[in-house]
Amino acid sequence: MPQSTPSSPSLIWFNEDGLNPGHQMVKDYADAPRVYVFDVPELQRQKISKHRVQFIYEALLEIPSIQIYQGETVAVLLQLIADWAIREVVTTETPNHIIRGWQNELQRSVALTTYPDIFPVTDTTSPRRFSRYWRKHERSWLTL
Amino acid sequence: MMQQLRTDLELADRAAIATYLQSEFPFLEDAETLSPYVGGRAAGLERLQSFQLEKYGKQRNFLDGEVSRLSPYVSRGCLTLEELRQWALKQPRSRSVEVFVFELGWRAFFHLVYGEEGDRILQDLEEPKVPMGQHQRSLPADIANGTTGIPSMDTLIQILRETGYLHNHARMYLASYVVHFRKVSWRAGADWMYSLLIDGDFASNHLSWQWVASTFSTKPYIFNRENLERYAGSVLPGDPKKGDPFNYSYEALAERLFGGAYTPEPTGRPTGQYQ
Ligand SMILES: Cc1cc2nc3c(=O)[nH]c(=O)nc-3n(C[C@H](O)[C@H](O)[C@H](O)COP(=O)(O)OP(=O)(O)OC[C@H]3O[C@@H](n4cnc5c(N)ncnc54)[C@H](O)[C@@H]3O)c2cc1C
Repeated sequence: MPQSTPSSPSLIWFNEDGLNPGHQMVKDYADAPRVYVFDVPELQRQKISKHRVQFIYEALLEIPSIQIYQGETVAVLLQLIADWAIREVVTTETPNHIIRGWQNELQRSVALTTYPDIFPVTDTTSPRRFSRYWRKHERSWLTL
Repeated sequence: MMQQLRTDLELADRAAIATYLQSEFPFLEDAETLSPYVGGRAAGLERLQSFQLEKYGKQRNFLDGEVSRLSPYVSRGCLTLEELRQWALKQPRSRSVEVFVFELGWRAFFHLVYGEEGDRILQDLEEPKVPMGQHQRSLPADIANGTTGIPSMDTLIQILRETGYLHNHARMYLASYVVHFRKVSWRAGADWMYSLLIDGDFASNHLSWQWVASTFSTKPYIFNRENLERYAGSVLPGDPKKGDPFNYSYEALAERLFGGAYTPEPTGRPTGQYQ
């Protein structure tokens, strides 16, 4: 069970594609509780290896005041949202369709703020061949 | 049901962390070894400092060559692609710098495609360029267990299982072996590799498997003995000569594997680079 009721109306939810203690979101929401959920059904369904789980866990230990849970992601978060009277969940963007599914589900119950991935070159049209993409963007990629 | 995990374990005591996680997640297959990839941003930054970028351009295709091995940190978000790009561009300009940034570009490209296609990347994105309709839908146990009887492939599988990481060229060999030599659907292979990689990422993984298979490229990726010896010979044990499935010219190999459905261009030798 959660140790204490945080006073922040926001909660930072880390996903496995954004385990960065230095992320801007952590700076912007310095007082918000920080949460990660190991989604047990997904770990089992995808047969995720112990090495990956350990890597994620070790990365989480680097995040001060992190609270780590196991269970079903959305159910755990909704429980915390209710217990702590959370009004906003803050997280990072990922193309991962499973995590995006959880984000969409959460959004039905709470405001979700998603920090976008910072891309070296922003181009939302994706050609089907890398050679074409590179020809178009090589110069931007190679310029500071 | 929700249960909170301990956070008071010492990062330095990795064996204790492994034991603890095994008790929290008893369904995980016990790895027996610890992966050399320590989780976290600090460990990633340390690895970045020891990466000899100046050697990368010449060596990156060789299994014993200098590569960053940063993908676990990048995929799990401990380090960002943009910070690696900026870091590289601040080094003295060289071919190595450009090749490294080019490879970062691949990751961004795969992410763009995934962002647009969503879970459609789990299915064939294009018609395969060689027949694949009869491919086996599940991964044979000898591949999962690393007991194929081909020492080179079994070694790669063992490295993958023991460390949670594989060199890019090794991933290409293994994927090609599974899909084209063993006639297993790329999806079965991709799901399997995804589950074992610390850097497992649907974009880079499943789209690379499709690239190897030819459902996201113009041709299947295949390799032969000569290529394997040149790029991986120093790392892999020798394979028996008798019945060696790789010991053919590319033309002969294509004929054996695809029965004339695809003929490689006769010029040049594949470098192990994506084209
Ligand atoms: C079958 C197959 C499956 C793959 N599965 C994954 C995966 O699940 N996750 C993953 O991150 N990469 C995957 N890759 C891409 C690539 O093999 C790894 O990113 C790379 O080997 C990681 O090693 P490194 O960090 O030493 O790379 P370096 O050569 O040092 O490159 C630096 C960084 O650039 C990016 N990068 C380099 N090469 C590629 C590439 N070909 N495609 C995409 N990004 C690249 C990675 O983020 C990498 O960390 C796969 C490739 C193949 C052929």
